[in-house]
Amino acid sequence: MSEKSWHLDRRAFLMGSGISLGLPWMECMARDNDQPVRQDQKPRRICAMYFGFGVGLPGEDSPHAQWRWFPKGEGREFQFTETLKPLDVHREKLTVLGGLSHPNGRRMGGHDTGDTFLTGAFLNNKFLVNTISVDQVAAKSVGDQTRFSSLVLSTDGGVGEPTRSSTLSYNDKGRPLPALHQPQQIFDRFFGTGDADTIAERRKLKSASSMLDLVLEDSRSLRNRLGNQDREKLDEYLASVRQIELGVERSQRWLEIPRPELRDEERTMLHLDSDDEAPLQFIRTMYDLMYLAFRTDSTRVATYQITNMADCSSKAAKFPQLQGFKDSLHTLAHDWDKPEGAEKLGRWDRFMAEQFVYFLNRLDSAQEESGSILDNSMVLYGSSNSVTHDNSNYPLILAGGSEFGLKHGRYLKFSDQVPMSNLFVTMLNSAGVPCASFADSTGELTELKFQ
Amino acid sequence: MSFQHDRYTGCSLALCLSIVVGSWLSGVHAVADETQFDREVLPILKSHCVRCHGAEKQEGGVRLDTLSVNLVDDRAALEQWHEVLNVLQKSEMPPEGEMPLSSQQLQTLTDWVSSSVHQALEARRQTDGRVVMRRLNRFEYQNTMRDLLGLDMDYSRDLPPDAVSSDGFQNNGRSLQMSSLQFEYYLATARRAMDRVIVRGEQPRKFDYVFPESNVDEWLGDAQRSNRLGRRQEFLAKMVNDYPDDGDFLVRVRLSAELKPETGYPLLEVSVGYRPDTEILMQEFELVEITSSDSQTFEFRGRLENFPLPVRGQGKYPGLVVRVRNVYDDKSPLPAAQKDDKGRTVYPDEPHLPTLTIESVEFHGNAYDQWPPELHRRILYDSPGVDREEIAYVTELLRRFMTRAFRRTVEDAEVARFAAFYQSIRAEFPSFEETIREALAMILVQPDFLFLLEPAGEEKRTISEQELASRLSYFLWSTMPDDRLLELANAGTLRENLDGEVDRMLADRRAQRFSEQFTDQWLSLNVVDNIAVNRERYPDFDDRLKSDLCDETHQMFEVLLRENQSAIQLLSSDFTMLNEPLAKHYGVPGVLGRSFRRVALPAELHRGSILSHGSVLLSNSTGADSHPVRRAVWIRDRILNDPPAPPPPNVPTLEEANPEFHQLSVREQLEIHRSRESCNNCHRNIDAWGIALENFDAVGRWRSEIQRRTGDNSEMRPVDAVVELPGGRQVIGADGLRAYLAGDRRQDFARSLISRLFTYALGRSLELSDQDAVDDVLNQFTQDDYRLKGLVHKVIGSDLFQTK
Repeated sequence: MSEKSWHLDRRAFLMGSGISLGLPWMECMARDNDQPVRQDQKPRRICAMYFGFGVGLPGEDSPHAQWRWFPKGEGREFQFTETLKPLDVHREKLTVLGGLSHPNGRRMGGHDTGDTFLTGAFLNNKFLVNTISVDQVAAKSVGDQTRFSSLVLSTDGGVGEPTRSSTLSYNDKGRPLPALHQPQQIFDRFFGTGDADTIAERRKLKSASSMLDLVLEDSRSLRNRLGNQDREKLDEYLASVRQIELGVERSQRWLEIPRPELRDEERTMLHLDSDDEAPLQFIRTMYDLMYLAFRTDSTRVATYQITNMADCSSKAAKFPQLQGFKDSLHTLAHDWDKPEGAEKLGRWDRFMAEQFVYFLNRLDSAQEESGSILDNSMVLYGSSNSVTHDNSNYPLILAGGSEFGLKHGRYLKFSDQVPMSNLFVTMLNSAGVPCASFADSTGELTELKFQ
Repeated sequence: MSFQHDRYTGCSLALCLSIVVGSWLSGVHAVADETQFDREVLPILKSHCVRCHGAEKQEGGVRLDTLSVNLVDDRAALEQWHEVLNVLQKSEMPPEGEMPLSSQQLQTLTDWVSSSVHQALEARRQTDGRVVMRRLNRFEYQNTMRDLLGLDMDYSRDLPPDAVSSDGFQNNGRSLQMSSLQFEYYLATARRAMDRVIVRGEQPRKFDYVFPESNVDEWLGDAQRSNRLGRRQEFLAKMVNDYPDDGDFLVRVRLSAELKPETGYPLLEVSVGYRPDTEILMQEFELVEITSSDSQTFEFRGRLENFPLPVRGQGKYPGLVVRVRNVYDDKSPLPAAQKDDKGRTVYPDEPHLPTLTIESVEFHGNAYDQWPPELHRRILYDSPGVDREEIAYVTELLRRFMTRAFRRTVEDAEVARFAAFYQSIRAEFPSFEETIREALAMILVQPDFLFLLEPAGEEKRTISEQELASRLSYFLWSTMPDDRLLELANAGTLRENLDGEVDRMLADRRAQRFSEQFTDQWLSLNVVDNIAVNRERYPDFDDRLKSDLCDETHQMFEVLLRENQSAIQLLSSDFTMLNEPLAKHYGVPGVLGRSFRRVALPAELHRGSILSHGSVLLSNSTGADSHPVRRAVWIRDRILNDPPAPPPPNVPTLEEANPEFHQLSVREQLEIHRSRESCNNCHRNIDAWGIALENFDAVGRWRSEIQRRTGDNSEMRPVDAVVELPGGRQVIGADGLRAYLAGDRRQDFARSLISRLFTYALGRSLELSDQDAVDDVLNQFTQDDYRLKGLVHKVIGSDLFQTK
C-alpha cells in the first residue's frame, strides 16, 4: 500500500460521495493533492486589530524623534524608529500607511471614533447607528466556507457603550456584534470537542430547530400586540433566532466534520486561564487563538480590539500599569508631547508592536500550499487617533496578502483627500470579495497592488 | 437641566473649545417650518453662503441651497445641518475676508438650525415616555435562574458583558441588545442547568469523610499544617483518589476561637479544589468572621463542578483538597519561620492575634438529603408520574413551570404548544427525563422569560398586577417576584397592599441588591476595578480594599433607606459606614471586625459625605494622584445633573512654552489652561469643583501637603483647595463644598437623585415629557424632608412606574 493512500483528499472524497460541503482547507491535504488548486479554493483571510488613543508622534526634528511611531523616509526608502523597530523582520511583508483617516471620523468627538474604525460611519452623541464593518462584508461573502463565519474578539467583551464600544464588528444592520473576551470560552467554542456524542448533538440541533420555528410562529401574534418601540426589541430577538436557525443548518453540516485537531505544541502554548490582569500573556493568547482559527481554517475573518478609548470604563485602561508603566493608557497617550512623555508612550507603542510581531511570526511560520498563512491573509493593525484626540492620519500597518498581489516593503503617505475606505475596497477585492465601493470610498488604493 | 446625559470622558488638560449645541429646550415648540425657512433663513443663506456653497461652487463639498430641510427623515441632511451649526458657533463661517453675518442674522440662522436639529433628534431618540420591553441583564438573569430553579450555578459565565447606556445604567431596555451569540449561550446555559436539576437513574454513591486533623504535611507554600490557625497556619484535608467528580457536596467545620482584645476577629476561609495547572488553584467560599469563642459548626455547600478539580492521575500533588485558614491579618510584620525537630516549618505563637482551633473538618460528597433531590421534585412532582397518563402530567408540569418562568398566568393554548413540542421530540430522546429537560430549556429561551414583557399597543395603559409584581421585584430585588408577590398579583390585591409590600421588600435581604446596583450605576463606582493603584505612591494599598471602598457607599445608601432618613445625608452627615480595613485606611481608630457599622465622625476627619468616599475619589483619579477635572465632571454630572458638554472634535493639546509647566501643581496647570479663552469657555465651569477636593489623594486619604515634581526630584507643598465656584461663590475645601452642596444646591441634588432613581426603576432614560412627573415627586420629596424610603414609595406610586 502506498504511503499516500491514507492521505485522503477529503474534498474530492466527499464530493464523490455526493456530499457537497465547504470543507476546511487543511495543510495536510496539500501534500497529496496532485491537482492544481483552483484559485477560489485557497483561503483568503482578513483580520484587523485596533488600539485606542493613537500613538506618540514627536516631530521628526524633536529630541524624541526616535519615538515617533511613523518611520523616517518614504516609499521603499524608510527606516523604522525605535517604536516600530521590532517590525523590521517583516519589513518586506508589510506596508506602513500614513495620512489615511475616515472623513466622517474627522467630524466626530476626539475619542468617539473607535466604533467606526472598520465602518467609516458618522456617529455622535445623538446619532448612534453604525453601519456594516469591512470584516463583516467579507464574512458575508466567504463566511459559509468555514465552521464560523468570523471571530470577533476584544479585551472587554460584549458590545460596550456606543462611541466607546468594545467590539470592532457590526452587522449589515449596523448592530454591534458582541466580542468574545474569555480565552477558555473562545477555545471551547472553536476547538472544544463539543458534545462527544454526535447523536445527542444532532438530536439537540433538531429539537432546537423545531423550537425556533415555534418561536417564530408564536411571535407573530405577540408582535401584533406590541407598540413600535417594543416591536423593535422583539424584532432584534427574532433576528437573533433566525440567525440561530441558519446556524443550526450550518452546524448540522459541520457535525460530519470532526473539530480541528490541534498539535501538542499548539495546545501547550495556550494560556487559556489568562485574563486582563496580565496583559502580555492575555494579548498573546488572543493572537494565538486567532492564529489557530486561521491555521485550522475555522474562520477566515477575525477582528480584535486590543484596547479602546473608553478610558476607565475599560479593563484595558490599566494595561500599561500592569506592564510596569507608571500611567494609565489615557494618561500615557496625553503626555506624548511632554518632555518625559514621548519616550514613555513610545515604549508602550513598541510593546504593542512587539505583540503584533508575535502574531505575524505565528502566521508567517505556518506554510500553506503556496506561501505562509501570512501571505494568504490581510492583516490590518492600527488606531483611529493619530495622537490622542486627533481623528486624522491614522497610524496603520497592512501586512500579508502577497499571494493575492499586495506589494509591500514601503511607507506610503496619502493626502487627507483619500478616505480610509479606499483601503477597505482594496482589501475586499484582494480577498476575493468583489467590491466597487465601501462607505464613503472614492476608489481603490492602487498603490498597494502590483499592477 | 438636561435629561439625556452625554457621556463624558475626563480628558486631562487637553480640554478645549466647546460645541455648545444651542439651548436645547428652546426649539421644542418649533416645527421645521418651510415657510419660516423660506421667509427668514433662506435669504441669509443666499446672501452670505450660497456663493461658495451653491450651484456654482461647493467648497468643502457642501451645498446649502438644495439641502433638504426635512431633518426628521433625512439623516444626511440632519448631519449636514448639524455641521453648519458647529461652524457658525465656532465662528469658522463665514471665513475671514467674507462679509460677516450681523448678530441678528447669526441669531436667526442658529436658532432655526438648532431648533430643527433638536426636534429631529428628539423624534429619533425618544421612546414617547414608554418603558421599553427590556431583556434581563446578566445580573438579573443570574438571580432569576437561581431563584426559578433553586440551583446555585454560574449562569451568566458565557454571556457577553451587557451594554451600558450613555447615562451609565446597565438595565436600559434600549441599550440591552439581543444577538445570536447571546441567544446561543442562553440556550446552552438553560440546557446545562436542566441537566443538573432533572436527574436520572439511581442515587449516586455517597462519600463521607471526617478529618480530626490536617492530613497533609508536604505541600506547597511555607505554611505550617496545624489545627490551631494563626496567620501562618492552615488545615488541609486531602482525598487522594476516592472522591466524586461532580454533584452536591457539604463541608462541615467545627471550631472554636481565641479572641484577643484591641484587634479584629478571626476570619474563617474555606476553599475546595486544587488544580495546579491553572491560575485558580482553589475556589474559596465567602469569608466568615468568627465573633464568638464558643465551639461552633459551620456548613458550606456547593457543586463540585463549580470548583477547580484536579485532573485525575496527573500532577505532583493529586487529590481533592479542602483547605481551612484564618486569614485575619493585622499587617504587623510576619514572624520568622523556624524548624521543628522533624525539620518541618513552624511559626512561633503570635499572642496578640486571634486564632481558630479546628475541631474537625467533614466532607460529604453527593450529599443529597433525598433522591431524586428536592430541586428535581419541585418540577417533576410525584416523579416520575408512571401512574398517570404521560401527556396530561407533562402538560400540568409545564403549566406550573411556565407560570413561574413567565411571571404570569399562562393560557391553555400556550401550554398546549409546549406540550405539543414535548411530544414532537419525545421519540427522538432516549428517556422521559431527557425530553423534559429539553422542553424546559426551551421555555427558558422564550421572550416571555428573557424579557420584561408588557404587551401594549400605541395607547398607554396601566400595567397589570402581575406586571407590577415584576417591575417591583426587578427594581428592588433584581430578580423574579417571590411567591407572595405573585399570589397577591394573581388575586388582584397587590395594588391595595402596595405600601406594605414595598416595605416588606425593602426589609428583605434581597433589597441590598437595589442599594448596590443603584449606587454602583448612578455613581459609577465599579470604575475602581479599572484603576491601577500606583504601588510606589501607595505601597500598602491592598486591592481587596476596593470592594470595601464601594461597600461604604452601598452601606450608606442602604442605612438611610432602611431607616428612612434624609437623602441629603449622602452629601453631608455626621457619620459614615465603616469596617475595620476601611477604618484603618482612613485612620479612624477603634473599629474592629469586617462588618460595616455606623461610625460617628468628628469634624477634623473631613468625612461624612459621598464626596469623601474612597470609592468616588479613587474612581475619579489616575491611580497615582487625584484627577480634579474628572472629579469635577463627576460632581456636575452625577450630583448636580448638569454634565458639561463633552470635549469637541480634534482637541488641541496644550503645548506649553513654559518649560516649568510640567513642574506646576495641577491647580496651577489648570489656571494656565483657563487663561486661554478657547479652553476657558468650558473649564471655568468645571475645574473648581474638583480642586475643592484636592485634600483627598488618589485612594481617598486626607492630605495637607501635595507632591510637586521639580526636575527629577519632588517636594511637598501645602494643598490649596480654596476655590471660587462658577457664579462667584467661594468655597473652602471639601468641607466647604459639602456644606454648599447640601445647602444651596440641595434641590439640584434631590432632582438628580430622583431622575436617576426613575431611570433605574423604569429601565429607560428620562425625556422631556417626564419632567412634570419628576417635578411632582421633587415637591413631595422636599415636603417629606427628603426621606429616602419615602422617595422609593413615591417613585413606585407614580404614574410613570404604573404605566406602560
